[in-house]
Amino acid sequence: MKDVYILGIETSCDETSAAVVRNGREILSHIISSQVRTHQKYGGVVPEIASREHSLHFEGVVQSALEEAGLGFDGLDGIAVTYGPGLVGSLLVGVAGAKALAYAARVPFIGINHLEGHIYANFLEEPDLKFPLLALLVSGGHTNLILFEGHGDFKVLGRTRDDAAGEALDKVARTLGLGYPGGPQIQKAAAGGNAAAFDFPRAMLEPQSLDFSFSGMKSAVLNTLNSARMKGITLPVPDLAASFQQAVVDVLVRKTLMALERNPVTSVVLAGGVAANTLLRQSLQGELKQRNISFVYPKPLLCTDNGAMIAAAGYYHFLQGNFAPWTLNAVPGLSLA
Amino acid sequence: MKYLTLDTTTKVTALSLAEDGKAVAEGFLHTSKTHSERLIPMLDQLLHAAAWELEDLDLIGVVRGPGSFTGIRIGIATAQGLAQVLKIPQLGVLSLDALAWAGYGRVEEIVPILDARKNEWYSARYRWQDGLDGQDERKGPLCLTEACAVNPEAWLNRLKEMGGTYLFVGDAAGKAQELIRETLGSKATVLPEYQSLPRGAYAARAVWQKWQEQRDGEKPEPYYIRLSEAEVNWRKKEEARRLSQ
Ligand SMILES: [Zn+2]
Repeated sequence: MKDVYILGIETSCDETSAAVVRNGREILSHIISSQVRTHQKYGGVVPEIASREHSLHFEGVVQSALEEAGLGFDGLDGIAVTYGPGLVGSLLVGVAGAKALAYAARVPFIGINHLEGHIYANFLEEPDLKFPLLALLVSGGHTNLILFEGHGDFKVLGRTRDDAAGEALDKVARTLGLGYPGGPQIQKAAAGGNAAAFDFPRAMLEPQSLDFSFSGMKSAVLNTLNSARMKGITLPVPDLAASFQQAVVDVLVRKTLMALERNPVTSVVLAGGVAANTLLRQSLQGELKQRNISFVYPKPLLCTDNGAMIAAAGYYHFLQGNFAPWTLNAVPGLSLA
Repeated sequence: MKYLTLDTTTKVTALSLAEDGKAVAEGFLHTSKTHSERLIPMLDQLLHAAAWELEDLDLIGVVRGPGSFTGIRIGIATAQGLAQVLKIPQLGVLSLDALAWAGYGRVEEIVPILDARKNEWYSARYRWQDGLDGQDERKGPLCLTEACAVNPEAWLNRLKEMGGTYLFVGDAAGKAQELIRETLGSKATVLPEYQSLPRGAYAARAVWQKWQEQRDGEKPEPYYIRLSEAEVNWRKKEEARRLSQ
């Protein structure tokens, strides 16, 4: 079969990214223009500023991705873009730009759900990944357990009822004065701390539920801090960070194992920004090894928002002839199922 | 020379296909759908109807603001995407410059007003120029002021003080009719909506005029006028911090 070259474009939050991927698994080029520094002084992503940055960098990022891959637009078989979920203004820059590129280049236009993209980053890591597989998606906006029976054939088993895991990490990081982005900062601070110093609750909800709830866990940290402050006691930040990180990871691991008991699968994959967390990776690794289930997670670069994962997901849409109409709009609240 | 123009800076999606400054096809949609949904389908229909191929285009003109921030970016991203694949130049013009073409041959000053929300308009003043040698190519609106965001009452009062006569055009014109009449009375003419909303033909004229002047394309940058709110607040905070030190 002829090789398939997909250009993947991602602008859903604060990274402008484009990549060319061959046959859904081989990254030929990968450009990420990060805005993290621009947003740092605001303590979080500012939607209007993010949109403006995407608008400035979009063309250059696409151009570099093609040049690095040594391809022209005539060498592409399709153009895939994230159309949701995400910040609407940011998504629209990518959707409008990608649509115009695909229309002018006369190649199929493919709309990708950002969450699906994150999961497909694992096919870049391990091309021979076998179905059925269970995906644990953890990011600043999402916490989901998803069962995949095949490409495009998935079912959401559990989702967060309040804060996403990454969101809770961000908020606690901010309260502890660790800055933004919170996940990596917590991990760094936790490295020198005692994870057993504080016994924060592990919210498991109803016994059968695969849903998550992190808001109460986050509040427990804030309460601990407040009551200490009133007594004039200063608590060690590394211990707080380590204990909270441990609580979050414990819940994620326990729920994943619960999902496995009910849904026997060949492999488990990790996806989303929080997938870069070392403690989470190691904990799951240990548990899954005992159960003889293969465990795949993307390298840190592929855990961030990136164009390569969108191209990888786009490839499977391409094979199924699953193309988007020219009327495709950005859907900021797009869900998986 | 064949070119396309895109204007998505207001609630109207306005497209044109033009050749040497003359409109060949025009698209106008003022519906509840978004630019993102309407733009490429409309372009596709226009090209078919005009029996043009994308590859026939020599230039892409885009209205780069002021107007809706999101609209500005959709227009520019689309123009850029098309130009990048087709390897043709782009040219950006201002929304107010394009609208000023609605005042062809008028003796009044032409005042485009666009709804900028927060009780403001984007506006500027123009005078119609017939050109020294009377050639049609030399005719056009001459901008007298910089485009800015203005408070409607303050802007109208300033115009009144200047004592001229004015022609109002733009998407804010309809709603502001009463206010304009109260302040300026018979010194003001407000164009009806079918003439005062953005049109592909206006942008086609503005792009052609600019092309005549510079005979070269340029990467169109968004023209927002306003900073983002977060930036405004941040600057205020910084200023306060500096003063308190
Ligand atoms: Zn993401």
